Amino acid sequence: MLPADCSRRLVAELQGALDACAQRQLQLEQSLRICRRLLQAWEPTGTWAWEPPPEPETNEEDPLPACTPSPQDLKDLEFLTQALEKAVRVRRGITKTGERNKAPSLKPGSLVTSPGMTASTPPQSPGQAGGHASDTRPTKGLRQTTVPAKGRPERRLPSVLDRTRVGIGVRAPRPGAGLRNQLMAPSAAPQAPEAFTLKEKGHLLRLPAAFRKAASQNLSLWVQLSSMQTSDSMDAAAAKTQFLQNMQTASGGSQPRLSAAEVEAEARRLRKACSLLRLRVREELSAAPVDWMQEYRCLLTLEGLQAMVGQCLQRLQELRAAVAEQPPLPCPVGRPPRASLSCGGGAEPTWSPQLLVYSSTQELQTLAALKLQVAMLDQQIHLEKVLMAELLPLVSAAQPEGPSWLTLCRAVHSLLCEGGARVLTILRDEPAD
Amino acid sequence: MRGRRVDPAAGARAGALPEAIAALSRSLPSGPSPEIFRRAKFDRPDATSALWQLLFRVLSPLPAGSALASIALEVQARLVKSALCSQGYPRLALAQLPEDGSQGSRELLLALSWLLARGPVPEQMVAQTRVPLGDEMTVCQCEALASLGPPAPHMETEGPVDVRHVQWLMGKLRFRWRQLVSSQQEQCALLSKIHLYTRGCHSDQSLGHLSVTEAEMLRDPEGGQQLLRTLEHENRRLEAVLAWRRAELVFWQWMDTVLGTCAPEAPAAASQPTFLPWVPECGDGELELVVRELRTLEEELREAAERRRVAWEAKARGCGRGPEWSAARRACRETVEKELGALQRCWEQDRSPAQAHGPHRLVRREDGAAGDRDLRAAELIRTLRSQEACLEAMLRQLQGQCRQELARLAGALPGLIWIPPPGR
Repeated sequence: MLPADCSRRLVAELQGALDACAQRQLQLEQSLRICRRLLQAWEPTGTWAWEPPPEPETNEEDPLPACTPSPQDLKDLEFLTQALEKAVRVRRGITKTGERNKAPSLKPGSLVTSPGMTASTPPQSPGQAGGHASDTRPTKGLRQTTVPAKGRPERRLPSVLDRTRVGIGVRAPRPGAGLRNQLMAPSAAPQAPEAFTLKEKGHLLRLPAAFRKAASQNLSLWVQLSSMQTSDSMDAAAAKTQFLQNMQTASGGSQPRLSAAEVEAEARRLRKACSLLRLRVREELSAAPVDWMQEYRCLLTLEGLQAMVGQCLQRLQELRAAVAEQPPLPCPVGRPPRASLSCGGGAEPTWSPQLLVYSSTQELQTLAALKLQVAMLDQQIHLEKVLMAELLPLVSAAQPEGPSWLTLCRAVHSLLCEGGARVLTILRDEPAD
Repeated sequence: MRGRRVDPAAGARAGALPEAIAALSRSLPSGPSPEIFRRAKFDRPDATSALWQLLFRVLSPLPAGSALASIALEVQARLVKSALCSQGYPRLALAQLPEDGSQGSRELLLALSWLLARGPVPEQMVAQTRVPLGDEMTVCQCEALASLGPPAPHMETEGPVDVRHVQWLMGKLRFRWRQLVSSQQEQCALLSKIHLYTRGCHSDQSLGHLSVTEAEMLRDPEGGQQLLRTLEHENRRLEAVLAWRRAELVFWQWMDTVLGTCAPEAPAAASQPTFLPWVPECGDGELELVVRELRTLEEELREAAERRRVAWEAKARGCGRGPEWSAARRACRETVEKELGALQRCWEQDRSPAQAHGPHRLVRREDGAAGDRDLRAAELIRTLRSQEACLEAMLRQLQGQCRQELARLAGALPGLIWIPPPGR
């Protein structure tokens, strides 16, 4: 058995690592659920998907779907649609009118699409319903999007009929549940309507205008913000520095005392220095110089590293001395909370909208896997150091007698030298006598 | 704000201060009204609790949420004091303020200004609650697995455990790592598919396809409405931050006058009776570990360098002296200096400036073309691979050290054969 305080520390450390992993796993699973759902069949509600950009004549209309239409609106909508349908028919000419005329049932069909949309475009033949334009320039999307949009209702005849019977206006996507329910029921109809999947029709989707506007505004604001930070006004910066200095002098101390955050930051830097230096030393010592130039470089590097190690040691001693003799300002609460530092701390720009471009699934997976690998290695190294600090003293202090010591040795060896993956075997070799 | 503040010094700026303060409070989450600021200058007690709450929002490491609102004012005040202390707030008056919100608004105003002067607080606050519209990936290591804050001591272990329990926990951890890897791979595959299938939809040509968030919005209009509202709210705050940045000079001039109305403090008294001694987060024990490591390193280096210096001197004596010789040596020296300087900069600066920070929106492009300011996956992969190699080397070195140490400790025993497990 391990001593109590050692046990506590080890278990706490490992449990912390386990919790971090569990949290990350939860996030991933949540994201997976959402992605899987998106890749199955679902219904993009009404106008949000196949909403074409507004016609060139009208102003940029904002189909803010926030409001539910009143019955009056619905009626008006129906009248308008009928009028436009008539215009379409007239335009189309004789040949197609036959098909169109077949259906008072088709009239509701156009309710699905935005009324007014059909008016200005030369209507495509319904037979082309299935063939969607593959290029989708958003600004001229009117032409392309009308094709599939119009095609759809003709296929999903029964569903559309049901919809209009219930009298749902298209302009307003009600709480999605309501609309979707109506859509779901008729889709059970034997007509076998094509369900929407991202795979087949994903490129037809369109984001709503209100969102597009807000998103582009958002992007431009962030860009403005980040460019403003990199070229901060000189006056403001000077005023701030002056203010800070005045604060310092007004509090009676000419020299700012070392704050806890600064001590931590310095210690973190020196820890990093230690790891980097050690790694570099390993590299140099294991390198085999082939000519005098390389040998000379190696020598100089080692001597330089030696100097740097000395400097770091000195800084550490100074830090410890400073902390010891003049403790940082005492805090009311035992442990100061970790301040809400952003990624870079201090005066760095907080977020700028940069893109991360990848070209294939393979690449994305490699990138993510490497990121995770680096994080895991980081964690593993930290644990290794902790385990070393706790367990090695135990092995050296314990009396090498009895099987329990051997168990300890095997366990410690496995944990420290094999990352817990493998265990060595110990054979007792009794001398035969 | 009750009328315009008349500033005798510059009539032209008369309206600028209230506007600046209004912009500031619009840019902060639940920012107090400009009136509160004005009252705080005169140290009016009714402005105190609003400022405590604002400082708490700014300094709290937790993300904004309803949980924050329910924390009592006294607790908030204590945490604010503690956080300011740990950041090195110079004025002692703050620590002595009562925590019930009955007085001290001027001091709190000074504290807020101190924070504002030291860093881009409004920007950071907006970034904290930013609406991510795309699928994002962070590139830097700031939020690595290990650094999730101090482990919450959830269940106190009941006394000593067997080492096999530790082994078991380690095995559990390794299993969780493997799970993470496979889940991560699946998520990337799905993400990539969604990007591929929605190619051509986005109104923003540089993006080209929808993100999961955007597709979700089309699938679930209620959620989409919510997203839109939050986005618009964020836009208002961003506009406020920009307005604040343009107008802030006036605010600093005003704050100087506020500071002027306070009596200068006496230097810190020796005794701070009401407070507990503070134990540094990085305990002295940890610093001790680093010191020990560095000392061992120093020793090793001294030995190796001396040896090589001797060998070199002997060899160099044999070769001739000449201008090319000393020129070559000088070139060597310069190269080494440059290399070591770069190494030192790796830890001197808190972060490498070359590496971008924070989350980035993932964009799939078949040709992988990227603008100047965009990151490319291929380059990141290269950087990460070298980091990985570095860390693996470090880990192997530590493990090797342990192997040696254990061999030394256990090897002394006769009658035992140690069979290492089959190598990797």
